[in-house]
Amino acid sequence: MKIQTANRDDIHILELSGELDYHSSPELREKLNELTGKQTSKILIDLRGVDYMDSSGIATFVEAFQKTKRYQGRLILAELTTTVRGVFEIAKLDSIFEITKTMDEAFEHFTSKV
Amino acid sequence: MNKKFELVAQSEVLPPLRRDLRQILTQIGWNKKTTAEILLAVDEALTNVIRHAYQGTFGKMTVQIEDAPERTEIILEDQGKKFDPTKAPLPELPRQKPGGLGIHFIMTIMDQVFYDENYKEGNRLHLIKLKSKI
Repeated sequence: MKIQTANRDDIHILELSGELDYHSSPELREKLNELTGKQTSKILIDLRGVDYMDSSGIATFVEAFQKTKRYQGRLILAELTTTVRGVFEIAKLDSIFEITKTMDEAFEHFTSKV
Repeated sequence: MNKKFELVAQSEVLPPLRRDLRQILTQIGWNKKTTAEILLAVDEALTNVIRHAYQGTFGKMTVQIEDAPERTEIILEDQGKKFDPTKAPLPELPRQKPGGLGIHFIMTIMDQVFYDENYKEGNRLHLIKLKSKI
């Protein structure tokens, strides 16, 4: 899995590509821990390049989501592939996370909603 | 179609195994969605072998696919510590704590899951997907 980082205004973006599983999720967890450790207020995960995800990947997002909530930060997941969305649906977590279809929609969410 | 994979129980083996299994399941005739789901169930079961049966120590595991007209069966074997995922408690959903979802995925995706109590050398798990449900 590859993780690329970028910033747009005060939004910290993680662009992921490849497979997110038990083998690769520790790297993402470390990256997200860095951001939540600094209490980064707006984290956007671009998932369009992720074609596989297992429960380790979901657990990594759940952990980061809980941490951001504790300091009133926000985590948005954008551009989920059909396979990855299916995993969120089986876990019944698609309604818990803030998920947007596109990156633009995610930027709008960050600027327009509290 | 029958095929057997002999693997070292390490997380590094999972991505190439998934690629091979994806090809086999597609050849069998499973659609893209169901193939992805079966891959996820197998992956979760093998992750449990690595984490719980071997607990980070060296070991081997095998994955055998047996295809029949009415079903596809995947048999997983290892020689690690006994771990029966069918007896593990299922999480309440939506689970807002990390972890505990792997077994839910296995039990939700597969039509039948059997743990072979008579397999003395370690663990043998049967994951079955019925074709009548396509």
